Amino acid sequence: MRKMLRATLFLALILLLAACNSNDAGSATTDGKTTIEYWHVNAETQGGQTVKQLVEDFNAQSDTVEVVAKYNPDMYKGLMQNLQADAAAGNAPAVVQVGWSFLNYFSDNFSYVSPQKVIDEHFPEDKTFLQDKFLPNIMDLAKNSDGEQVGVPYSLSTPVLYINRDILREAGLDENGPQTWEEVKEFSKVIKEETGKSGFYFQEPADNWATQALLESNGAQFITDGKATFASEEGIEAYELLADMVLEDETALHIGWDQGVQSFIDGSVAMAYTTIAQRSNIQDNAQFDVAAVKSPAWEGKDPKLPAGGSMLAITAPNEEEQKAAWEFMSYLYSIESMADWTKGTGYVPPRNDVADAENGLKTYLEENEMMTAAVEQMDGVVSWASFPGDSGLQAEQLLLDLRDRILEGSVTVEEGLTETEDKINELLQ
Amino acid sequence: MSTLTGIWGKFNKNRGNAFGYGLLIPSIIVFAIFTFWPFLYTVYLSFFDWNMISPEKEFVGLRNYMEVLSDSKTYRIIGNTFLYIVLLLAINCVVPYIFAFVIDVVLKRFNGFYKSAMFLPAFISLVVGSILFTWILNPVSGPLAIIFGWLGLEIPNWTKTQGWVILVLSLITSWKVFGYNFILLYASINGISREVIESARLDNVPLWRLFLQIILPMSSATGIYVFIITIVQSLQYVFTPVKVITQGGPDYASSNLIYHAYHEAFVVYRTGHSAAISIITMALFLILLFLEFKLVERGIYYEN
Amino acid sequence: MKTNRAVALTWHIIFMATVLILVFPIIYAVGMSFKPLQDAYNNVLNILPLHPSLENYITLFDTLPILQITMNTFIIASVVTIFKIVTSFLAAYAFVYFDFKGKEILYFVLIGTIFIPFTVTMIPNYLIISEMGLLDSIWGVMLPQLADAVGIFLIRQSMKSIPVSLVEVARLDNMGHRRIMKDIVLPLVRPAVTAVGIWFFISTWNEFVWPVLILKTTDNYTLPLALQMFISSEGGTNFTVAMAVSVITMIIPLILYLIFQKYIIGTFTSSGIK
Repeated sequence: MRKMLRATLFLALILLLAACNSNDAGSATTDGKTTIEYWHVNAETQGGQTVKQLVEDFNAQSDTVEVVAKYNPDMYKGLMQNLQADAAAGNAPAVVQVGWSFLNYFSDNFSYVSPQKVIDEHFPEDKTFLQDKFLPNIMDLAKNSDGEQVGVPYSLSTPVLYINRDILREAGLDENGPQTWEEVKEFSKVIKEETGKSGFYFQEPADNWATQALLESNGAQFITDGKATFASEEGIEAYELLADMVLEDETALHIGWDQGVQSFIDGSVAMAYTTIAQRSNIQDNAQFDVAAVKSPAWEGKDPKLPAGGSMLAITAPNEEEQKAAWEFMSYLYSIESMADWTKGTGYVPPRNDVADAENGLKTYLEENEMMTAAVEQMDGVVSWASFPGDSGLQAEQLLLDLRDRILEGSVTVEEGLTETEDKINELLQ
Repeated sequence: MSTLTGIWGKFNKNRGNAFGYGLLIPSIIVFAIFTFWPFLYTVYLSFFDWNMISPEKEFVGLRNYMEVLSDSKTYRIIGNTFLYIVLLLAINCVVPYIFAFVIDVVLKRFNGFYKSAMFLPAFISLVVGSILFTWILNPVSGPLAIIFGWLGLEIPNWTKTQGWVILVLSLITSWKVFGYNFILLYASINGISREVIESARLDNVPLWRLFLQIILPMSSATGIYVFIITIVQSLQYVFTPVKVITQGGPDYASSNLIYHAYHEAFVVYRTGHSAAISIITMALFLILLFLEFKLVERGIYYEN
Repeated sequence: MKTNRAVALTWHIIFMATVLILVFPIIYAVGMSFKPLQDAYNNVLNILPLHPSLENYITLFDTLPILQITMNTFIIASVVTIFKIVTSFLAAYAFVYFDFKGKEILYFVLIGTIFIPFTVTMIPNYLIISEMGLLDSIWGVMLPQLADAVGIFLIRQSMKSIPVSLVEVARLDNMGHRRIMKDIVLPLVRPAVTAVGIWFFISTWNEFVWPVLILKTTDNYTLPLALQMFISSEGGTNFTVAMAVSVITMIIPLILYLIFQKYIIGTFTSSGIK
């Protein structure tokens, strides 16, 4: 009996603890502030602290709005999953970070309000904020396939080529790195011969962002008028270069993203083509002469790089929260916040006047040479190909499956690209 | 068993039954709300083309099932699922059985050390295990690759190679579950009467016969437990390394049915397809479970 | 009969190798948690840190309310484990010692739920928890997990092995069900209960897919969620801090195990799990 009693007491204690626990988590707005949720994907290695700081500072200076930030693991895909569940339950956060590849899926399936509409209704003084502070081609990134403005670009990234100058010098190559994709291939061969190390790693995450950069820089088009068109002559030629490096020359690595970056940082591979968002990770941890150079072009062509990163969209269901949402967003888009955000994340700021502003990033960019490559190539930025319609994400997946098949050599580039293009166009109908 | 219930039945049938139901109520409430209702909802969803949020929900009859069953990918993934099960049964059921037997019956020293050391990884989550092994088994930069390099060997590019990927993911999963299964089997074998074992050894019965003819039958209740739990692990636990390391790739070579249901529902948002896959998965395993009931459960040794 | 020395030696070698494979990653993880990240990247072969530092743990305690998070994880794992054991025990008792209509079918259906992919229950459960207003609360995490089919299955297996006569006699003595459960059945199935209890605790302690969905503010986080904050494909994973979280995550169940080890192993070995 005493044992029973003890067990009961123990249980009661735990339940009591649990009860206390849920009490202090109450999100009641005691001081009359409107509480809104902000969903982001920023892990601690990618500006998590900056988000925390920005939200805290905002809450401290606002008398009307209280923001609760929720971190969503597994990047934009993870955020979209949680948003899906929340929408199914009839809830919605107020402000969400949407990754570019989910632009069409998001705008087709979730309810949102265009930021300009909220501004027009509640903030007449900000009426021209979006036109004034953002370049039109940047604002266009956040337009869906019907041309509607879904959100406001928040973080921008582009792929850059990280180079290990020590290895390049050891191999007797130009320490400023290759300028063209053809040179990347040649450099890699020389590196392999001279040093025995792998020449190149092309990032392999669960998206087709870098692949798009490679193909479109050669003149291919991922999507034309809502149809997949990547299997053009230029597209095939571009993909073949990568496949050849992996399969024929064996100068490029074909491994997962984390592993690839690890191998670049420890000096096992001389060049890595990946996002500028990896800058601080690489810069902080590499113990060699490391640099980031602009994305290679194709011989005689201008590079076309899809913008990575995200936009902020307003999903708040009622006017009060929508108003609060813009109040928070306009805080995030101020020059000072943008500068903090850029320093914390390594993204390129979407506002046109932040880079040169004294209270913005002027000194920071002067000191961080690696950022220069990313900032300079912003002119060549195009939209991340986001396939339209209900099957858009499946189309994206088919391209990922294709990458595995091409790089393991089970299908030729030409056959694979053509077949996948047909399959996607069938899906999109 | 039947005499017992017979007696109870005679004495107070109605009262007893009501009490029996009463004991089930807590479980049934939880299951009804959080499992059965979602399950029925899934059966319903498997007849629709929907993504859980779009306002239009199109009734498509059996089309989801037909699409899933006519997709060659599905059969590959079913094949993978059974490959995982076979591998995990070998690593986490057969091997610990033999180990437990040897440690208990054959060896005299270090037994305590082995028991504790082997149980250690059971405490670590598979997310951690997955990150850790991605690092340790990096085919270019990992410590293992470097050591192999000194010997002039290469480790396979396992995350991107069919076959290897399933083997390594199985090993990662095993790393966590091996010790738990081992401890259970050890306990069961240790509980067998020493007299039986000693007399067999005095008769010079070879070890393998001692194992097969005495130990195995006398510990079969735990054996079945470990067997079932290993199948559950190889379905549900494998999900974590697949999600963290390969996302089912390369080209579905490491996906299993549970991961694929997840992939359809939460990566490409085809709820109907995912529902159909879930129902098919369940049907497949219910048939197996039914066979287990009919064939295996009879032969279990209960130490009465 | 004496065991051949060579045979014994061979087995010792096999076991030592197994132990090495199983334990090496843990030692590696612990070592990594005391290394600066740069060191981890560049000196992969140093299992133990050259310049041990507490930097990762300091970062961790600075960024997250780790004590609160550990507490949450402990509460969730304990409550879920206790409830699962109680509900499973009661249900197993009903299945073994009662005869009622539809018993076999009900049992089969309950056990069948083991094979339901969690994707099936995830969104509907989220809707229910949201309706109940339990989002971002550890209650929302616990509620759907208070019963478990694996537990029912295993405890029933174990009960079936109890000699029928024992319970029969007690029953003829007019002993009530409550006493039979407590004084006769429970002591005999304790090994099985302990085994599933450990299983429940460890699985709940480490689960992350469901809590990620429910919990929002860091004050309500569990340890596996805290780990997720240091993993990012795009910004790079901070392996060393992640390993520090892992070490903290591992240490509490380990301490519990060491405290109860005698009891656990004793429970098992006195009679084995049946």
